[in-house]
Amino acid sequence: MAVATPAAQAQPASQAVRGRQRRQREEELLVWPDLVFVEFISAVVFTITFTILAYMVDALLLDRADPAVTPNPSKAPWYFLNLQELLLHMHPALAGVIVPTVALIALGAIPYFDTDNEGQGEWLSTARAWPITAVGAVVGAAGTTLLILYDAGKHVQVYEMIANGTWSPDPDAPGFVGWPSWLGWATNLRAIQNDISWPEELTRVPLGSKVLRTDLLGLPAIDLDVNLPAVLVEQIIPVTMMIGLPLLLSFVAARVGLARTKRDHMILQFSGFIATFLTLTIIGTYFRGAGLELVPYTIFVGDH
Amino acid sequence: MVREREEWGLLMAATERPEGRGLGDRLYDGIFHNRVWRSIFRSGYPNTPRNQMLAVATNVFLHLHPTRIHRTHVKITHTFCLGGLSFFLFLGLTITGVLLMFYYVPSVDRAYQDILALDTDVRFGQLMRNIHRWMAHGMVLTVLMHMMRVFYTGAYKPPREFNWVVGVVLLVLTLLLSFTGYLLPWDQLAIWAITVGTNMVGSAPILGEPNRFILVGGFQVGQAALIRFYTLHVIGLPLLAAVFMTVHFWRIRRDGGLARPL
Repeated sequence: MAVATPAAQAQPASQAVRGRQRRQREEELLVWPDLVFVEFISAVVFTITFTILAYMVDALLLDRADPAVTPNPSKAPWYFLNLQELLLHMHPALAGVIVPTVALIALGAIPYFDTDNEGQGEWLSTARAWPITAVGAVVGAAGTTLLILYDAGKHVQVYEMIANGTWSPDPDAPGFVGWPSWLGWATNLRAIQNDISWPEELTRVPLGSKVLRTDLLGLPAIDLDVNLPAVLVEQIIPVTMMIGLPLLLSFVAARVGLARTKRDHMILQFSGFIATFLTLTIIGTYFRGAGLELVPYTIFVGDH
Repeated sequence: MVREREEWGLLMAATERPEGRGLGDRLYDGIFHNRVWRSIFRSGYPNTPRNQMLAVATNVFLHLHPTRIHRTHVKITHTFCLGGLSFFLFLGLTITGVLLMFYYVPSVDRAYQDILALDTDVRFGQLMRNIHRWMAHGMVLTVLMHMMRVFYTGAYKPPREFNWVVGVVLLVLTLLLSFTGYLLPWDQLAIWAITVGTNMVGSAPILGEPNRFILVGGFQVGQAALIRFYTLHVIGLPLLAAVFMTVHFWRIRRDGGLARPL
């Protein structure tokens, strides 16, 4: 493992130069024809593939744009539906801007954390790389799905189904067993704000007139009353989850001996991130219907 | 002078191929060893190792490649050609995009009609639009998969750190290119997807709303947004992407080609 000393930082470049010098000619092929032809053939294959695809499937075109008619649901392009999905569970500034910005910066910073030379040039060539990838992907996908199911209150439905012994329990039927009222705060994330009777003072913390006294600096006073339970639900809990759960994953993986090197943890976190990203995208695309409820949905049905 | 060069050409071909000259060789010389061909391609047809390397090194398009490459890097399963495919899709999108521009006026009064006309009146218009659309979706996918390939083959490690960062920038540019193109058909799908997307920008603390206003050019997605997105889509972002792609490809060569096991 590389240690962050000047000597260790200089090491990779010199190794690359030495690597170039001891490159064995018999291990090499000529770019023409061996690479150029592969490129040419794949270009031809893909041109044909896309032409056939375009011939068979038309691009979608709905009615003319009308700012007065809002479709239900309104969705962003599919590659932003992961962010739109996040938007349902936390503060919009967090989901729409801060999380993607931090994620992109973290993505760009990967090579500056993982500076070891081991495991390059081959697919998942370090020891334990495949199991780590599988664990990261499964935990990322399953964890994301469970959190979304929780926020949609699905566990309440499951509980009522089991407690009443029927697939579709009727809340009005005599003897109906509902979700225990003392667990009302655990029906979804927002219930922590709404179901607990927070003291009045906590819902209106006067930061503007008590703490950030801009009027003392001769600036206009800020009208800023902070609703602490809302901040807890919209910001503190989601941020804690998004930072804490990946850290917990790495911690557990280190304890059981699955992830030992920096590269191991990188693979674990990256796999978890990709799985989370894909899960959010798939749920945002196919499981958010009218009112962005958690139901199966496809855009090709019905309204055009 | 001319004669000298022709003789030089014949001499090269003869010295490099030890066997006697057959019909194929004479045909070959007739096609490739004349003044016109030699004015275009300075090396002979690449049928000897020397000429094959010259062909790659002296051609402006091919010289993005090294002349030699490690045996394992030609295996399809090493890269699945994903980076190359992303570039190929960018080129395909440029070509179909230019053709689409002939028929499209970025005005809220005309845009939707132009798309309808493109789909019904223009010969191969629907096909062009379809190819453009599917290639755009395809490019987002190949760029994402390329990123995963580079990660899982550990190809971002020193000395390739910076090229990974350039790649992340290209990922963002790809998403922005697709996002700006999304508005142009000016149908319900387009305007509401962009409304949802730009509202996300607006939710940022402090700078969000001013940025959203600048991006959309008003309080709601209308003519100002359409012309902004169109301009970014057809010239601004493609130029920026081309610059970053140039750096990306250049750095692959500078950093010693594709990563190899140590």
